[in-house]
Amino acid sequence: MLERVDELLGRPVSMRAMALLRVLVGPIVLLHLRPILGDAMDGRIYRDHFHEPYASWYPELPRALYIGVLWLGAVAAVAMTLGVLARAATITAWAVVTYDLFLSTTNFHNNRAYLVIVLAALAVTPCDRELALDARWRAARRARRGLPPLPTASPGWPLWLLRFEAATVYGASGLSKLIDGDWFGGTVTWHRLVLVRDRLEASVLPPWAIDILTERSFHTVAAKVIVLTELFIAAGLWSRRTRDAAVWVAVCFHVAIQLSARVQVFSYLAIAALVIWAVPATRDRVVTIDPAVPAHRRLARALAALDWLARFEVRDGAAGGALAVTDRDGTVTYGWRAVARIASRLPLTAWFALPVVAGDRISRHVAPTRSAVP
Amino acid sequence: MSSRHRAVARRCIVAAVVVTQLAFVVRGYVADHKEFAFQMFPESSTWRADIVRVTVDGRRIPISEPWAGYRWSELAPVRGLAFPGRRRHADAGLDNQLAFLDAALDYVARNTPRDTETRYLEAVVTAWHNTDDPETIVLRSVERDVAGR
Repeated sequence: MLERVDELLGRPVSMRAMALLRVLVGPIVLLHLRPILGDAMDGRIYRDHFHEPYASWYPELPRALYIGVLWLGAVAAVAMTLGVLARAATITAWAVVTYDLFLSTTNFHNNRAYLVIVLAALAVTPCDRELALDARWRAARRARRGLPPLPTASPGWPLWLLRFEAATVYGASGLSKLIDGDWFGGTVTWHRLVLVRDRLEASVLPPWAIDILTERSFHTVAAKVIVLTELFIAAGLWSRRTRDAAVWVAVCFHVAIQLSARVQVFSYLAIAALVIWAVPATRDRVVTIDPAVPAHRRLARALAALDWLARFEVRDGAAGGALAVTDRDGTVTYGWRAVARIASRLPLTAWFALPVVAGDRISRHVAPTRSAVP
Repeated sequence: MSSRHRAVARRCIVAAVVVTQLAFVVRGYVADHKEFAFQMFPESSTWRADIVRVTVDGRRIPISEPWAGYRWSELAPVRGLAFPGRRRHADAGLDNQLAFLDAALDYVARNTPRDTETRYLEAVVTAWHNTDDPETIVLRSVERDVAGR
């Protein structure tokens, strides 16, 4: 048993998703620091008003140094995304965000806690070997010396831990609502909306929508949908059979939260962190194109630009051949299905393409004879 | 470090993180401040408070009036505390909100050195847990040492 655990934790896997997450989290750190820096520029920092230190021994910096540290965090966030001294920048961003968070209980919010966790996972991962200027410069240096590029795979334990944490965010939230009678019964969401009915009426929502949203019976159902959605995301992300659906639902869920509540950087962070659920292997699907076909060439160019998780290898096929995608299990998909399959694996287009792929899979399951293979 | 030691170290780190995270989740059900418990939008509870300064001569002066060059809204502008007289949502739950208010009373009592007349601050809080009937809670700051001034 322990040997299996050790094998899982130590198994080298691609850190491409973590490298992509590093790139995406840089702007999120900036977004997080922006209001704190804005206040500092106006001459206000956390200790100019009510704050409550977690511990008396926790070091508090002189004002100028504290503001300098915040700026250092912002610079580190930019460097993280660009991949300049990426490892050091990631560790610095983590240290700054964490230090600031624990200065006062009043600084604490769930989205900031999640940001600290994500940054910690990135800080212990060699996520600077891809999608980074460092990586390019290092590769060029090594090539000049005749050395092979550094491996982009490393022991998977930080990725597994981050997956555990990401699932915990949804699971803990869903569980707390499930066991709270007021929440699961719909009282909390209904009451919250009734209390802000004046704001709803001032919004762009039509009156009939406001009537529905403030109707008690609507929330009896809606609250259960919310709770079960969170629990589905928490559990569904773990299985490859349900992962696509869980990712799709999670994006909808976070967009809805972003539109309806003030959650600081939570929505951006949670959506960005969904990339860690990609299977940690690269170039394990093959796209075969006919280079003489302009549409195929365009697709190859689009793939080069959008395949941030490096999931596809593009090969030239026979003249006159159809566009084909060979999956990691050997399944070959052709034509528009291949395009949909590709789009469903690219971070920017996955949300739109996943329903198409799922719908096609269902329709082929229902009517298998309609399956088209050229 | 040998590969054996590395494997044990990985195992220990992962176990420690998992156990600690789960402990934080459990702690969230009993603690006022629910760090790393990820209980989002926990309640629709609301609250409001009448806060007064109780002076050495027994007067009860609302903190809505500035005193000794201080304003409550500038001393406690965070966590929804700036205007306690208005009924508002307890974003992270009622217990969390009241813990912040309690700590804010102490903070203000300790960090207003120009005030030479206030003995303590007192908040009479009306709290509505979700749709329950209102409950009245009285919170009091630490006693200030005004006699020695």
